[in-house]
Amino acid sequence: MAGLLIGLGLIAIAAVIAMDAMNMRVPPVHAKVGPRVFPYLVSCGLALSGAAIAWQAWSRSFLVEAQDTDWGAVAVVAAGLVLQINLLKPLGFVPAAIILFMAVTFAFGSRRFLRDGIVAIILAVVTYLAFTRLLGLQLPPGILKGVF
Amino acid sequence: MEAFSSLMDGFATALTPINLMWSLVGVTLGTLIGILPGIGPALTIALLLPVTRTLDPTGAFIMFAGLYYGAMYGSSTTSILLNTPGESGSIITALEGNQMARRGRGAAALATAAIGSFVAGTIGTLLLSFLAPVFVKLAIMFGPAEYFALMVLAFATVSTLLGASMVRGITSLMIGLAFGLAGTDILTGQPRLVFGIPSMLRGIDTVVVAVGLFAVGEALYMASRRDLREAVILPIRGSLFMTREEWSRSWKPWLRGTFLGFPFGALPAGGTEIPTFLSYYVEKKLSKNPREFGQGAIEGVAGPEAANNAAVAGVLVPLLALGLPTSATAAILLAAFEQYNIQPGPQLFSASGSLVWGLIASLYIGNVMLLILNLPLAGLWVRLLSIPQPLLYGGILVFSTLGVYSLSNSVFDLVLLFVVGIIGFLMRRYDFPVAPAIIGLILGPMAEAQFRRALTISQGDPSVFVTHPLSLGLLLVALLVLAVPAVFSVVRAAAARKAAL
Repeated sequence: MAGLLIGLGLIAIAAVIAMDAMNMRVPPVHAKVGPRVFPYLVSCGLALSGAAIAWQAWSRSFLVEAQDTDWGAVAVVAAGLVLQINLLKPLGFVPAAIILFMAVTFAFGSRRFLRDGIVAIILAVVTYLAFTRLLGLQLPPGILKGVF
Repeated sequence: MEAFSSLMDGFATALTPINLMWSLVGVTLGTLIGILPGIGPALTIALLLPVTRTLDPTGAFIMFAGLYYGAMYGSSTTSILLNTPGESGSIITALEGNQMARRGRGAAALATAAIGSFVAGTIGTLLLSFLAPVFVKLAIMFGPAEYFALMVLAFATVSTLLGASMVRGITSLMIGLAFGLAGTDILTGQPRLVFGIPSMLRGIDTVVVAVGLFAVGEALYMASRRDLREAVILPIRGSLFMTREEWSRSWKPWLRGTFLGFPFGALPAGGTEIPTFLSYYVEKKLSKNPREFGQGAIEGVAGPEAANNAAVAGVLVPLLALGLPTSATAAILLAAFEQYNIQPGPQLFSASGSLVWGLIASLYIGNVMLLILNLPLAGLWVRLLSIPQPLLYGGILVFSTLGVYSLSNSVFDLVLLFVVGIIGFLMRRYDFPVAPAIIGLILGPMAEAQFRRALTISQGDPSVFVTHPLSLGLLLVALLVLAVPAVFSVVRAAAARKAAL
């Protein structure tokens, strides 16, 4: 079942790449060895691999190791990342990093919120200061603007 | 002898206090990330790229190379004491090494791994010093058609040799090539796979893909596997000074491992995993008491650990001399060269001689530092293993997102990182190897450039690839690499069907 979906997904990506190549407006000078050749090759390669995997899944020769997948934990890590992406600019690097860190520790089964929280705060503040002060890189200050 | 005098100049570069410091930083960081599961040399170098942008390139590469060597030393400690490999090159070390630790001979296992790594690393670096210039002479004969054929060969070997099945390897390669297509076409300015998003015109940065596949994908996968969370750390027991018997059982596997590892690293065969497996089977076959294998045979640690260090030296030969990466870490190193606008290949040895030879010389020094860091200080490093897994992965993800964001201060890069991370998780979950994708991503655009250059020179005649003898030869080998395993699997399936009837 999973193999079938993966195969079909790959074929869909191959179609997107081929469509993108077809829609290019290529000046006739470059028509022969132009920017379309490689996208077509990659598209064919992906479609063929997708078809092979779908066929293997259909004939039950696409072997996947049986394993317990904790989809809930995956969702928590993913949610942590989505939150961080959306909060990085409005709240700033430090709070966004703390939220991400806490989400990951929770997903990995830790329930020692005090310990994890202290580590998260120290890690986020120290890296923020090291990056902005020592390395001179820009990170969004957010709500802590003017504090550090 | 020419190489010898260049090497002496290299030592002059490497022995300056500042470069010695970079070497020490590299090997220390390498040992650290080698020991920590979940973070490897490819990921670390990718994360360091934004930070090292303003650094002197010689110092940066000395650090990166030390890091790559150091990761191979450190990962053996994790394999032996935790029974989970720190890196993929130490998977096989866990078999015998962990058994030795269980039987109270953990210290001897650590010692044979560290000394074997030193022996192999030093011999490998010697071979690198004298073979790289030979490769450079060879590379001068290469035109665009030959380079393209060589890259096709690399694509064929990495996708067949790595991973559970050929289809999965090729799929991974194609995914990498597809990532490489995105962005503005260099020759015509044509936007490809941009979908009207302005940020996509720059293309997808190598660092985003590497961090997405190695860090985000890996973290999502480890979160999904509740059963992999608890592991027992064994204490180091026994003496770090090996007995006479242990020495006499170790030295031959060290040398055999070295001479297996080096050529496999240099061939476009995906780096350090395959030679370690081969070394293990060779040692098992040659052993006087093969029954001891599986219960803590020291040969099974000595051979593979030598093989993975020698392979790293081997990987550097085609990377420096031809600009051809044969492992995921080498692919990231190639991206680092691009960041400094340095083109690896024959020109590198003439244009940036002091960088290359300083880098090679630093490897001799780094090996000595690593032996000292890893042998007497093993007990100190082991404490790293007691970092709780939730904190470790929390830290990895915070640093990964930070590294990707600081590439170009773009939140869009973080969105891409998330998407690539999901793809990486699915690849890990359904057993697709990741290294072919990284190599496809880096080599894809280069292969396309060489392909189009060759066709422009031949005025559009595609026969250039088969009329140049060298190019034809390389393409035929690539075809063979793809065909042989396929034929084998068909024969095996037919035999299995016959057996079932």
